[in-house]
Amino acid sequence: MAGICCGFVGESETTATVEPTSRASRRRRLELRPFKLVTEVAVPPSTTLDITPAKRQKVELCPISLSRDCGNALENCKRIEENKNNSISDSSKSESVKLEEVAPKFGMTSVCGRRRDMEDAVSIHTSLTTKNTSFFGVFDGHGCSHVAMQCRDRLHEIVKEEIEGLKEEKCVEWKRTMEKSFAKMDKEVEKCCAEGDSSSNCRCELQTPQCDAVGSTAVVAVVTPEKIIVSNCGDSRAVLCRKGVAVPLSSDHKPDRADELLRIQEAGGRVIYWDGPRVLGVLAMSRAIGDNYLKPYVIPEPEVTMTERTEEDECLILASDGLWDVVSNDTACGVARMCLRAHKQSSVPGSPGSEAALGSGAVESSDKACSDASILLTKLALARHSTDNVSVVVVDLKRNQH
Amino acid sequence: MSIMPSLAFTPTNGSSAHEPFLKFFDCWLVEQNNYLQELISACKDYDRNKNNTRGSAESSQATLQPLINRVLGHYEHYYGAKSRWAKKDVLSMLSPSWKSALEGAFLWIGGWRPTMAFHLLYSKSGIQLEAQLHELIRGIGTGDLGDLSPSQLTRVDELQRKTIREEKELTEKFAKHQETVADSSMVELSHEVSELLRSEQTDHEAEEERVESTLAAKEEGWEEILQEADDIRVRTLKGVIEILTPIQAVHFLIAAAELHLRLHDWGKKRDDRAHRGPH
Repeated sequence: MAGICCGFVGESETTATVEPTSRASRRRRLELRPFKLVTEVAVPPSTTLDITPAKRQKVELCPISLSRDCGNALENCKRIEENKNNSISDSSKSESVKLEEVAPKFGMTSVCGRRRDMEDAVSIHTSLTTKNTSFFGVFDGHGCSHVAMQCRDRLHEIVKEEIEGLKEEKCVEWKRTMEKSFAKMDKEVEKCCAEGDSSSNCRCELQTPQCDAVGSTAVVAVVTPEKIIVSNCGDSRAVLCRKGVAVPLSSDHKPDRADELLRIQEAGGRVIYWDGPRVLGVLAMSRAIGDNYLKPYVIPEPEVTMTERTEEDECLILASDGLWDVVSNDTACGVARMCLRAHKQSSVPGSPGSEAALGSGAVESSDKACSDASILLTKLALARHSTDNVSVVVVDLKRNQH
Repeated sequence: MSIMPSLAFTPTNGSSAHEPFLKFFDCWLVEQNNYLQELISACKDYDRNKNNTRGSAESSQATLQPLINRVLGHYEHYYGAKSRWAKKDVLSMLSPSWKSALEGAFLWIGGWRPTMAFHLLYSKSGIQLEAQLHELIRGIGTGDLGDLSPSQLTRVDELQRKTIREEKELTEKFAKHQETVADSSMVELSHEVSELLRSEQTDHEAEEERVESTLAAKEEGWEEILQEADDIRVRTLKGVIEILTPIQAVHFLIAAAELHLRLHDWGKKRDDRAHRGPH
């Protein structure tokens, strides 16, 4: 399976190359940046990027100019299905459609990394119900990969059914919708486990009791022209980059989180420290899809946050803990926004160059930018010795992309 | 370097592989060290040219590729020799005395673990990435392993998953073969021979023949497994190199040689210390 994809790679003949002159001037501009410590106040983080490795020595900066290798052809993600048969037609929606005709651009990377099993899964569906409602999900499995795979294959469909079951999409009560969807997803997982499936080729072979001890995190962002709805269950995370500031849109479900600890204890469970806090000394997260054997201590109920989109929103990052364990929210945002910005600056249309294969015209370049951002974050996680699978989705939220 | 002294070593009939392979291996290490120097100077030349001349990418590729091919040929030469010797004496290939105890601890079926290649790649790539993160964020390519492109990372990831699968399958086969040490024929034979020893009978010829043929069958199994393991190793190495650009491949081969040579040195030192005793 191709682990990396990006959206909307056009076939435009327009090319964008960084010319030496523009690169030099860009470097001059960028060299003005590091005044982070000049003053404690009034310097917005938007002008700085702290790339000091979390656990290692300071990075040395040595400006080197080098032409980009032309083999960087991006791969289109085949899993993205454009839902053109939009069944919901509602005149009251016309305004929001005008607001944003196209779904946001995104880039995605998902790699095995230094682990021996791949248990992460990513699901991206632009035009989920209408053309401008997009679904982004990252699922980090444990025990085996099949629950994460099921979430990848089914959760967006369940959410879609839930939304379409409602009379008007405008009135979607997102919190309830997402909670119901997660509950349904969990039921499906449980059912599949109880019935077994001889065709499965996963490690646990869907045999009980092993199959009961399999689960997955789920962090899902539904992005509409007005809102970002993030539903989270487990320790994957969604972070919004707004005006250069990292705003977490989900809160990790760790067993030692005060409210989670209380909930587990009230349900009669215990959190035991065994290589970190774990529910019953087993699972290092307090909520998950699946994990039947740990119910009711571990629950599939998501926490849902609703965020109104603003003009200052830059990008949204969804990732598994393979990233977050070694890269802070701030660093991730800094890297992602710098990638997106660098691309916008470098999109000089009309100049021939090695990036022709990418079809990176002025409009399409930000897709390459998103993909570059997701891949750079992934590589940064690997560079910082992440020992887990790493999955990263970067969604461009800038509205003036046209 | 055009001639490989290690070519002079070929297996001869009837001899154990221990001694001659030790010599071959020492010779091969010297050659590897020479190649390492070549790779490093090629890398320096590349860096120099890259700053001086424009459009030198093609010309440097033209100079790097033959060197990469020769280094890969050197690895293949090693595995070719190993395979020929394994036909004579597979057991010494599985517990190679020419490696230090330290290297021995890291062995998987008589050699390096194939998935180690990806850890090596990610580690080296990580070091180069951290060193030039600012450039990479700005979209300025550095051309080294820190600058793996999306499609390269996809292909590396695919190759890694395939390699993990193959490694696991062969590990399973290896386990099954190890378990045959106590299969009924072995247990029966060991009992019968023990009985004979107890009865103080002197004529064991028939039993000895049976022992020979039983163990020969086991050795055949080992030979097959070792061959498969070496195949995965060579395929993985070539697969990784194929995904990389020439200069990235040079960086990777440098890292591989440095790790191999230094691990050997360190292991030898530790062995010497252990043999000398605590003083």
